[in-house]
Parts: sequence; structure tokens; C-alpha cells
Amino acid sequence: MTFRRKLLVIFALTVFISVATVAVIVSILARRAFEKADDERTAALVAQFQHEFTRRGEEISARVAAIAASDAATRISYAFSRKERDYAPFLGEARTIADNQQLDFLEFVDGQGTIISSAQWPAKFGYPDASLPLGQLPQSAFLKKEDLPDGEALGLFSVRKIDAGEGHDGENHIYVVGGRRMDKEFISGLELPAGMRAMFYENFKSGFSPQSLIDPSGTPQDPQKIADFVQQVLAEKQESTTLVHWTSNPAEDETLHAIPLRDLDNRIAGLLLVGSSRRQYVELRQQIRSATLFAGGAGLLLAILLSGWAAARVTRPVEQLAQAAREVALGNWDTRVNVHSSGEIAELADSFNHMTHELLEQREHLVRVERIAAWKELARRLAHELKNPLFPLQLTVENLVRARQQTPEQFDEIFHESSTTLLAEIANLKAIISRFSEFSRMPQPQFHSLQINDLVRDVVKLVQAQLQGPGRSTIECSVQLADTGEMAGDPELLHRVLSNLVLNAMDAMPQGGRLTLLTHAQENTVSVEVQDTGMGLSPEECDRLFTPYYTSKGHGTGLGLAIVQSIVSDHGGSVSVRSEPAHGTTFTVVLPRNLDKLQPGGEERNDGQVEV
Amino acid sequence: MRGKMQLTVYNSRNPRMPSRPIRRSLLFSLLLIIVSGWAAAQTPNWHTPEQQLAEKISAVTGPGAISLELANRSSLNRTQAEEIHRGLLQELSSLGLRSVAPEEAAATVNISLSENLREYVWTAQILQGKNEPAVVMISLPRSSATDSGHATPAIVLRRTLLWSQPGRILDAAVLSGNPQRLLVLDANSVNIYQMQSGHWQAQQALPIYHSRPWPRDLRGRLVLRKDHLLDAYLPGVFCTSAAGVSLTCHESDDPWPLGSEELRLNAFFAPARNFFTGALTPGVGKQTSASAFFAAASLPRDRYALWLFTTTDGQLHLLDGFTDQTAATDWGSEIASVHSGCGSGWQVLATAKDSNDSKNDSLRIFEVPDREPFLIGQPTEFRGEITALWPQTDGASAVAVLHDSSKGEYEAYQLTLACDQ
Amino acid sequence: MKRTSLLWLAINSLALASLAVASLTITTVARAATRPHYGGVLRLAIAGPVSSLDPADASNVSGQTAIQHIAPLLFNTLTTLDDRGEAQPSLALAWKSDFSSQHWEFQLRPGIAFSDGTPLTANAVAASLRVANPRWNISPAGDSVIIESDSAARELPAELALSRNSVVLREGGKLIGTGPFTLAQWEPGKNLALSAREDYWARRPFVDSVEIAIGRSPRDQMLSLELGRLDGVELAAEQASGTVAGGRVVNSAPDELLTIVFSRDAHSPEDRRLRQALGLAIDRSLLNTVVLHSSGEPAGGLLPNWMTGYEFLFSTSPDSQRARQIHEGINQSSAWNLGYDQTDPSARVIAERIALNAQDAGINIKPNPAASPDAQLVRIRLVSRDAHVALNHLAISLQLPAPDPHRASSQSTSSQSLSTADLYAAENALLQTERAIPLLHLRTAVALARNVHGWSEAQDGRWDLPNVWLSAEKPSTEKP
Repeated sequence: MTFRRKLLVIFALTVFISVATVAVIVSILARRAFEKADDERTAALVAQFQHEFTRRGEEISARVAAIAASDAATRISYAFSRKERDYAPFLGEARTIADNQQLDFLEFVDGQGTIISSAQWPAKFGYPDASLPLGQLPQSAFLKKEDLPDGEALGLFSVRKIDAGEGHDGENHIYVVGGRRMDKEFISGLELPAGMRAMFYENFKSGFSPQSLIDPSGTPQDPQKIADFVQQVLAEKQESTTLVHWTSNPAEDETLHAIPLRDLDNRIAGLLLVGSSRRQYVELRQQIRSATLFAGGAGLLLAILLSGWAAARVTRPVEQLAQAAREVALGNWDTRVNVHSSGEIAELADSFNHMTHELLEQREHLVRVERIAAWKELARRLAHELKNPLFPLQLTVENLVRARQQTPEQFDEIFHESSTTLLAEIANLKAIISRFSEFSRMPQPQFHSLQINDLVRDVVKLVQAQLQGPGRSTIECSVQLADTGEMAGDPELLHRVLSNLVLNAMDAMPQGGRLTLLTHAQENTVSVEVQDTGMGLSPEECDRLFTPYYTSKGHGTGLGLAIVQSIVSDHGGSVSVRSEPAHGTTFTVVLPRNLDKLQPGGEERNDGQVEV
Repeated sequence: MRGKMQLTVYNSRNPRMPSRPIRRSLLFSLLLIIVSGWAAAQTPNWHTPEQQLAEKISAVTGPGAISLELANRSSLNRTQAEEIHRGLLQELSSLGLRSVAPEEAAATVNISLSENLREYVWTAQILQGKNEPAVVMISLPRSSATDSGHATPAIVLRRTLLWSQPGRILDAAVLSGNPQRLLVLDANSVNIYQMQSGHWQAQQALPIYHSRPWPRDLRGRLVLRKDHLLDAYLPGVFCTSAAGVSLTCHESDDPWPLGSEELRLNAFFAPARNFFTGALTPGVGKQTSASAFFAAASLPRDRYALWLFTTTDGQLHLLDGFTDQTAATDWGSEIASVHSGCGSGWQVLATAKDSNDSKNDSLRIFEVPDREPFLIGQPTEFRGEITALWPQTDGASAVAVLHDSSKGEYEAYQLTLACDQ
Repeated sequence: MKRTSLLWLAINSLALASLAVASLTITTVARAATRPHYGGVLRLAIAGPVSSLDPADASNVSGQTAIQHIAPLLFNTLTTLDDRGEAQPSLALAWKSDFSSQHWEFQLRPGIAFSDGTPLTANAVAASLRVANPRWNISPAGDSVIIESDSAARELPAELALSRNSVVLREGGKLIGTGPFTLAQWEPGKNLALSAREDYWARRPFVDSVEIAIGRSPRDQMLSLELGRLDGVELAAEQASGTVAGGRVVNSAPDELLTIVFSRDAHSPEDRRLRQALGLAIDRSLLNTVVLHSSGEPAGGLLPNWMTGYEFLFSTSPDSQRARQIHEGINQSSAWNLGYDQTDPSARVIAERIALNAQDAGINIKPNPAASPDAQLVRIRLVSRDAHVALNHLAISLQLPAPDPHRASSQSTSSQSLSTADLYAAENALLQTERAIPLLHLRTAVALARNVHGWSEAQDGRWDLPNVWLSAEKPSTEKP
């Protein structure tokens, strides 16, 4: 991960964590505040509802009282104060009056509770209604279960005695019992604030009955969701509140407050369920959450942009430095860093520029030193090489001079012998000069398709005779060739490389040993190893091995390995050596396949010549 | 036709079937019954049904002690029911069934005298022990003769029942002479009856031929003539008697005479309806037309006659030869003037309903001293609707036809005014 | 002279004006016994749905009562029943049968034409009767029609008086009759307008036309009557005892049966006993007096007493103790659903009252108009004044087995007309099937405006519109 990315991540994380923390804190605080407000609102609404419920009761009482005081009631009372009972004129009376007074239930009953006229069950005239509290008339409205032709219903009732006026037989009173059904009309008729609804549960049967739950729309959906709550309230017999999740959508949630309603016998006749919608709260919460998320997101984006910009500002000089360092590593010693800033980075850049400057100077110095050293070595070598044949030449010439002076008769003979020696020595000198010029005249490789294994075999065949020549210790030779495949290279030059290495190895084993040649194939390269079991080389020797004119042997110009390296390098390959003293040496030549350098046309050789 | 006709059962009562002799004899027997003062069938013979029921009861119970209860659920009166009770006990005892107190009886027999539209139905529910009660019953035809007669209250208007029959009477007229003769006009004939020993005896029926169907609410008028016996006016048909005993009828829209003979006014009758078109001939003074009317009554004045018309729109029109004055009255559509000789001399009889929703009509008498009718005396109530009211030719009396729907009979009355009130 | 005559005229006018005022005040008290008026439009309303005017259309079950009122206006039957329920000639002048009462010959009245002018022929009569009576073999023979049936048909002349046996000329979907009126306008289920036939063979009706509004609510009808938009309306049974502002109510004898009909035969003796117990549990008298405002009579039998003379033999008094005894030990497997007509306002109360009475006797019945009923509360009009014909058709309507008086009684031979005892035996046998529990016989009633006269007050509530006439007085001249 780059320095810039690291910086970016650190900046972004910091901003994100800060925003998230703020959002969570705001959300928690908002929820607490709302829940408190919601509780207070629900409590207020429940109080309002109970007030409304009481008002309904009073309204019913007033209507029943009005009916009891009406002419129709007096007429009924008068008619039934006599012994003969005729229900016929009053069959529809209760229904008519109930409709006028907007009551669901209305009955006229006599002192024994016998129904004279019933609005809710007209057919029940003459039958007793045992559930009426005629003994002691309740003054306020009360809840009562009412039998209906098609089942039972709960109603809010009021009962009044009809004041029959003077002359009425005081014993047989007539009563008016009127009420409103606790049904969806009743529920929907309650004046409730927005977001609030009332439901009613009729407690007729033990266990929860979904049909007994009534809401303004009729039957609520999924009444089973509150079954447990209803049963709990019925068991505890006191007001209770719960949160109901109607659906997976939290906006549909409802805070439900249950109020047990008791009839005259103090039994719980039903439950009034006041539901307060959580939608407002949930929506507010969602708004806060989305605002927080939006602010956080925007902050995060801004943070990323800013951090990116800041990181870029910080890291650009560093990157320039790193790039310059890489350039230097690649050998571009004259690389410089241009930093337009101040502070530590600017100092660092200056130091870097100074460093490269120093390095450049030191290298140039070193090159100069090396060059001088090389010239010195060359001069020394040349002098040494030339001095060796010159001395016999000097001796021979002096011998000739002396022979002329001292023994002219033998001069001819001596002359003959001396000229032969002279010629031999001159030839030797020529050979020395030729080898030096050869090194300076190394040609550019001409690439041809070849099999490295073929070259190895050729070289081994060439030296085979020398391996077991008379007067020589025997050298065993083993060849291990892998399937190297085709490659491109200059066969002559590579042949020289291999033969140089093989001759070197043979030279390293004057006492005999084993020579091993191995080829390896890699995907893009081919390698050849030449191993010997000679005396080996010290690490210092290894370091200097490829330096021209260096030799560890008693003979040779010291140019062999330098030529090897030169050719391999021209092929784009590398040569390496590993050696341990007394355990032999292994040269490894790695050559790229260079198939792209194959020229389909000419195979010319540029026989350039370089004077060294 | 399939099968062989073994027995022919013709429908019982059919006035259009060619069975005139039977119908005549029926009419005759009815006449006998009515004229003899409704007394004939007061004691019908209950013996046979009593016997039949007693036999059926006995077949269930066998001889023994029974307790018998009788309930009358029919229109039979109490006397008749008691009579039947006695008769039954007699029949039962002759079959070996003794009537005892309920606690001693082996069987309880509850007898009900009931009836349906056609028959008396006498049932006996016989309860023996704890068995389901056995039911036996007999039925016997109902007779209208058992219906009780009606009272004739004292009246201001003197009315005399002339004739009664099931078919509709259109008009009737009494021919004075010795013997007295009665002419009765109905839809099919003019029937002539002769007074013999206090009863009207059928003498002759003069059939009326007509090709078109009669209109609903058929009307007709008999006019006695001096040169021949009678003229009969029916909607679209005019009949005149010839040679004493035959009647010649032809389709005619001749105007019908209105009022009494001395005030000659004729009016055209709508042939397919029940009213006069309003066209008058020769006219009241110069007035030759009035609104369509049902009936007319004339009141002779010194120098002119005042004509009253009950028009079809429910109004009363008074025509004096010059003016046509209208008054909305509560008069019925039937009016007739009668010369009584008392009061102003002439009075107008007008029909009225005696009360709302009543089926019965009444007749009221009006004096019209100038143009303002006023009621004199009490209305005379009739048991039924008055379907016709025509002045007699001499103007001294009128004939009213009453339809007594409870008996299904038409009755013709002669109306005279007794002015000594 | 001229001056005096003018003065005289003025005085007369004044006098007449005062007479008019005086008589107007009298009008409200006394009523004129006027001769029937010709003309006018009689506007009636009937409750029953009428979708077809074809009296032989058996599919028109709910409109049976209405069609019985309407059919005689357009069509005639071969016979009519008189007030005693006996067949009288109508289109047939005379008839005779063979000994077995299987072969009948009806001689047609000559000179009668359908309203389109087509003469009435034996062929036309036979074709018409075949539609309603596919089981009879009907053939024309000269000016007579021969009717042959498989079994003795002693009530055939009375049967032919039923409106379903009206003589109808069916031509390309049109129904043509010989009746007192012709069809002027017909909107099925809504309005019917009829015009009087001038050439009606049995005398032209008094009114010029009759307009009948169909299927209006009772409340609408009464309102229209009171506003003078209608001259007569058919009343529901519970309205029959009421009074009508500006009019009167004409009641029939009880001619409609209110009964419980079970949808199946009793499948076991226990089932029979339960049904008997239910019959005993119901307090018919209170149903009549309270729920139906005494508009009927408690019914123990299928036919009313005025028709049979023996109906009192079938008990109607409630006895819930006996009811309990009868079904003691029987476990009613499930509550009976009692169906009723939801459009009938009193049917629900009656059904609920029955359920309460049944509950007292320990029988479980649920009034339920929606569910498929075990028993149904139905009102059926008696189609004929002839008790035998009425019973036969009642059995058909209630889907009871056909009464067989020949088997029920051995007293009468096939040539004799059926006796009341035969009728009793047949009716008793029907009741013994426990398929039906008769409750009440109800009156039918019409409310009439004051200007309607001549309305038949026959016991069976039939309408005799040709004899109805309208007087000039009208509470309102407003057109409907």
C-alpha cells in the first residue's frame, strides 16, 4: 500500500468514525426525546378517550332519560299499567324511537323485566330480559352484554324508570333501557386525534377470539398479533401498554394501550384498546437517519477528496525522490530532484541531489583510476610479454657477434642456428601481438538459429583427443544435455566461448579429473554449465576472473575469460562462476533465446576491428 | 271423442244455456218465496244431516255413554243450533248413545257446526281415552232461505216493494186496473206479472233482442203509453209493444223521455255508456243541450219548468230555459221529481251514501222553492245500492231499484211521498 | 223588465254560490251515491315482481299473486268461479263430462274475438290450454274443446277458472287475450298500462285505462296514494288493519297461507317428532296479533276455515310443555336454518319469534335468510276459491306430495263431486307428512283512494277491475 493510500485511509476513517459517532448520538437522543413525547401523548390521548367514553355514556343516559320522559313512553306505561297486555301497538315502537334517538338498543320492560317492545330483537316481546338491573337503577351508563338474534353484543346502556304521572298504578313501573352497541360505528364515532385509533375487544368467550376484536374498519387485520397482549391484560385485569409490530414495516407499529371495561357485576366485559401510531416517530427517526447518512456520506466524500489532495501534496516530493532513487539505481547517476517546497522534504531533496552529484564525481574519479590502472597493467603485461622473447633475441645476436669475432669458422654454423632461434622468437613476438589485436578486434555477433547442444558436442569432439593425450593425466568427460530447443546466436562466437571454458577447465586439472558439461533449458533462456574438478578458485580470484589480462595460469594472455564475457554479453546473456578451493569450479553461461533477433536474410559478419 | 258418455253432468246454473223452463220454474218458486213474506224456509229439514252425523259418530264409538258438546261456528242462529243439538241427541240415543256428564262418559264428542262457501260442515271430534281424536264430518248445501229477513223501518218516504229477483232490474211500472199488473224491465226481457190473490203471478215475458253487448251499469226505462202498452228504452235499443203481448225491438238512438209525461223533454242516451249525452229535444226553453248527465228531474213553475240535471262531473245543473247554473252538491247521480201535492207541490228525490265507505245508499227529499235546494225530513236508508231511480209516467210516484249485495238480489220499490208529516 | 231580470239573475247567482260553499262543506261528511262513471285512468300499484304477463309462465313464481290480479284484465278463462266457488260460464257456455270425469267437453261461447280481431276458436283455446297443461290431452271439436286427463278430474271446471288456464293467443311473443282490457304499454317489472276494450263481450269496463306500477316499496306506494298519485295500492298483511289518510282499506278473507315448509321429508321418526314439537311450540296467536297486527288468523290447516269449514279441527294453541314431551330424549343433531324472504319486513320478526318459541320447547332453530335452509318461511296465496283446486295448487307450490282424495276417502265414487270429508282427509294426509307447519292465514288488502268505487269485496281478494269506476272527486290532480 502506498504512502498516499495509507494517508487517504487514515484520513477517511477518522472522518467516518467522527460522523458516525455524531449520528448515533443524535439518533439515540432523538429517540429518547420522541419516546418520552409519545408516552406523554398516548397518556393524554387515553385520558381524552376516557373522557370521550364517559361523555358517550352521559349522552346515552340523556337520550334514555329523554325517551323516558316522552309521550310515547307515557303511552306505553299507561297501556301496560292495565291488566290486559297488548304488545301489538308497540311492536315497532322501540325501533322507531331508537332510530330517532340514534340508539342501537332500546327496550321497554315492565317491573318484572318482561320486554314490551324491543328495538334490537323485536320478536322478543313478552319474554323476560333477566340481565337488567331493575332492583337498583344505576345512575350512570353501564356496560352490559346483550343477547341478539344472531349472537351477543356488548353495549353501553342506561336505564330509566318511566314517570307515568299522577293516577298511575305505582306498583307496576315501566322502564326504558337504551344503549349503543360497542361496534365499529361506536368506535369510529369517538372523536380521536390523528394518528390514534380505538379498538374494542368483546370478552365473551374464554381465550382470544379474533371475531371479538372490532376496529373502525370492522375487523383489524392480523388480530392474532395482539392475542397474547389481550389475554395478558384480561388476566392481570389492569391497564397495560405494549408495542405491536403489525408488519415488518416499523411505520406500521403501534403503541397499544388496553383499558379493561367492567360491567355492573365488576366482570371485565371488554377491553378498550387505544392504539397510537408510531408512524410519525418512525418517519422522524428515518429522517434523522437519512440526514445523518447524507451528511456522513457527503463528509466522507469531501474527506476523501481533501485527503487525496493533501496526501498528494505531501507525497509528491517523496515520490519524486523515490523515482530519482530508482533512476540512480538504474545507473542514471545524473538524476536530479526538483522540489518546490520547503522544510524537511526540501532538505531531503537537496541532500539527494548532493548525493548523486557526489556519486557522479566519485565514479568519474574511479573510472579514471581504473583506466590508469588498466593502462599500467597493459603496459606491464606488454612489457613482460615482449621482454621474454627479446632477451633470447639479444643473447642470440650477441652470440652471433661473438662468434664472428671469436670463431669465424664456426660462424656459419652458429649463424644458422642463431637465425633459426631469431626467427622462432620473432614468430613468438608476432603471436603475442596477434593475440592482443584479436581481443581488440572482437566482432558483433551474427545471429543464426542453432542448437546449443550441437555446439557442446562439437567442442567435446574437438578436445576429445587432448583429454587422454600421451603424457597427460586422464580427464574424464561427461556430457548431460537437456532438450534445450531452438535459439538464436552466433555459432562461431559461442563455439569459442565453450572451447575457451573447456580449455580453461582442462588447464585447471593438470592432475586429471572430471569435466562435466550440462545444458539446461528455461522458457526464455538456455544455460550451459562447465564443471571441473580442479583446484578451484578463491573468492578474490573469482572477483577478478573476468578482468582482461588476468590469469591464474602460468601461461596465457589472461584474455580468454574476458573474451568469453564479451561474447556472452553481446548475446544479451550472462556468465557466472562459483568455485570452492580444492573442489573445482563451475562456469554457468545463461543465454537468452533471442529468437526475435533472427534475420531471415543475410548472415553477414561485421568484421570490425578495434584497436586496443 | 274418447270413451263412451255414460252420464252427462251439465253445469248447474247458467242463464244463457237453453234451459228456459227450468229457469222459469226457479224464478217462479223464488217469487213464491219472496211474495209470501219470506216465511217459507224458516224451518228447514235438518233431520237427514242429523241422522248422517249420528250414524258416523256411532260407527266410531259404538253404543255407550258419551258426553256431547256442540259449538256453533256457522251463520246459523242460536235457535237453529239448539234445534240441531236436540235433533242430534235424539238421533244418537236412537243409535244407543246416551249423553252423560263428561266424567262418566266413555267418549267425548265435540260437535261443531261450521260452514264454508257452499256448504254447512258439521264435524264431530270424538275423543276416546288417550287416543288421537277421531274426526267425522258431514256437509250439506247452504240455503239462502235461512238468512234472516230484514226489518222495514218507519219512513218519511213511503216505499212499497214491488218485485225482487237475482238479475238486475232496470225499471218497473205498475199498471193500475183490475187486476193490477206489474211490468219489470231487465237486461233480457220485459216481464209482466198479474196480481192474483195478493201475489204477483208471472204472466208473460217479452224478450228483448239486441246485437251489441250491453254496457256495464246497464240502464233502461219503461214508459207506459196510452195508445199502446209500453215503450222500453235501453242503450242503443228501443222496444215498443205491439198488439198487446209482443215486443218489437230495434237498434235505435232515439231520445229517451225524461221526467213525467206532462213535461215533454227527451234526451239522447250514450249507447255504450250509462249516461245521457246532454243533447235535449225539444229542449228546455231555448236550451237544447246540457252537460252529459245521469239523471234529470223537472219542477214545474208557473210559466216555465226548472230542470235539474246531475251531470257526470258530479255537479248539479239547473236549466230554466235561459240560464245554465251550476252547483256542486253532495247529491247522488240519481234524482227524480215526484208530485206530492204538499209543500211546493213537487219534491226532488236524490240518492246519497248514508256514510263514508258504506255500501248502503239512502234517499233524501229536497224542496227547491227557488233555485236553492234544501233538505226536508230524514234520509231514508236502504240496504244496498240504488241502481235506478225513475219517475213514474204520471209523476205521482217514482220507482227505485235497490241492489242488496248481501243477498245478491235486486229489489224494485215504488216510492211515494206522504205529505201529512 | 230588463233591470229586474238582471237583478233576479244576480240574486240567483249569489244564492248558487252560497249553495256551492255549503255543499262543499257537506261533501266532507256525506258522500254521493252516484251512478258509476265511465272513463278515467285507474292507477294502481302492486308489490309483487312481475316479469312476464303470461299466466301460464310457471317460472314467474314470485309474481304469482300479481299475475292473478293482472291476467283477468287481459285474458278470460273458460270458466269463472262465483262467490260460492262454483264454476260459472265464461268463455265456455256449457260443459259436460263422462262418468269417469276424465273426459270433458266445453262448448265455447260464440261470437267472441281476441283483442286483435281474431275470432276465438276451439283450436285457439286448445293451443292455449296445452301450454299450461302439457299432461292433458286437449283437442278441438267444432265449437267445443275436449279435455282428457289420465285420472278423474272432477274439479276441472274450477281448475279452468285459474288464471294460469287463461285463453291466450300467443303470436310471435305477443300475448293477445279476449279480456276487458288490451295491453297499451308494458315495461316488464315496472309499469303496465291497459286500455279498455270498447267491444268487450262481457261489457266494456267503466274506466278507460288502468295503469299498474309494479315493485314499488310499500312506503312509496302509500305516499303516492296519500298524495293522490295512485288510486289503489296493494298492502302488506301487517298494513291491512291500518287506516289510510284520504282513503279506505278493503280487506279480503284470509286467503294467503304463511307456513313453514321443510325442504326434505322427515328422515326418521325422531325428525317427525321434532317437527310436531315445533308445531306445538309456536304461539300463532301472538304472531298474528302482535307481529301482523291481527291481519290474519292462526292456521292449523293449510286451507282457511271459510273455504273448508273444518280448519278449527287442526289445533293452533301453543303447548310448549307437550312439545318438550314429544321430543324428549331426541338429540337434535344441529340447529335448523329457517329461511325467510328478506324483502318481507315482518318475515324476519316472525322467523325470530318462531326461533324464540322453539327455544322455549328446547328446539334449536336459527333464522337465516342466507344459508341453505332446512325449513323456509313462505307466504302462498290460495289460487282458487274452490277448496280442492286451492289445496292441489298449495301442495304443488309447497312441493308437497299431491293430495289424493280418491285414495284418502272411499266414500265418494268418481262421478260424485268431492265432499268436504274427502277434502279433510286429503288435507290431513298432507299435514301428516310433517313437511309443512301452517302458521297463519293472512288477509290481503288494498288501500283505495276515495274516488275509487265499485271495488269488489269478494272474500278471496280478487280484483274485479272492469266494475271499478272513478268519481270526479280527487284529492289531487297531480299525474304520477
